[in-house]
Amino acid sequence: MVELNNVIHQPARLRIMSSLVTLDPGEQIDFTYLRNLLKLTDGNLGAHLTKLEDAGYINIEKTFVARKPRTFISATGKGRDAFETHVAALEQILKGSQK
Amino acid sequence: MNVSQEDARESLTMIKATSDHTRKVVASSYASGLLILWGLIWVVGFMSVHFYPRRVGYIFNTLNAIGIVGTILICRKWPHRVATKTPASQNIFWRIFGLWFLLFAFASLWLLLLTPSKGIQVCAFFCTVAMFGYVVIGLWFGSYFMVWLGLMVTGLTFLGYYVFPGYFYLWMSPMGGGALLATGIYIRVRWR
Repeated sequence: MVELNNVIHQPARLRIMSSLVTLDPGEQIDFTYLRNLLKLTDGNLGAHLTKLEDAGYINIEKTFVARKPRTFISATGKGRDAFETHVAALEQILKGSQK
Repeated sequence: MNVSQEDARESLTMIKATSDHTRKVVASSYASGLLILWGLIWVVGFMSVHFYPRRVGYIFNTLNAIGIVGTILICRKWPHRVATKTPASQNIFWRIFGLWFLLFAFASLWLLLLTPSKGIQVCAFFCTVAMFGYVVIGLWFGSYFMVWLGLMVTGLTFLGYYVFPGYFYLWMSPMGGGALLATGIYIRVRWR
């Protein structure tokens, strides 16, 4: 039986992880771009990213592009595995094999 | 953690919707710019050739040079907007560049074999070659709008060539260039 993941299951974090795992491994998305894509506020996105980073599911890289500070986010291997397991658990529930 | 079947269904639907939206937004960040650029080039190019048919070579060589420079600038800017450069994205850039380069190199060789006698034959030939490139890239990345766009403009090219040969360039300006331009604007507006 596959376990649901408490950290990932929260709706905003589920959407963040869905976006990040859609990118190719190693590819990073800009913070502002992700915020606009998911229609979240800076504070809301930042708080959820911190929780995901603490769990080791994402990597946050702060850098400078053309002398402007930029933050790039990517899913880690551990995060991709956890997301895959979580989706498998949801699918199991849907099939009625887990209560 | 207890989750009902209904909650699980909603979560899976949300995952799929977010994933699809991300894919579209990432694709739109470069595809819209390229489609608008090449749409404008086709609109201006075909319109100019209709009025100055003897300058067809000069017009399209100039516009294609502008298009190639613009394409490189858009593709180089894209990774900074969406993602940092990774070896994978760099590889894809060079593979796409290689595809277009080889496609048009082969098309130029085919032209030597086919020896078309009319200007509109050359234009229709290169339009369909370019649209073949769109179809290949669409299949490569799973962007089906690119496949449909390529097939639609190819159909419109054939329609113009056989039904309105006297107005082919005037036809291709809004139908070929306009289709690329409209698709680029649609993606930019609707896929954000």
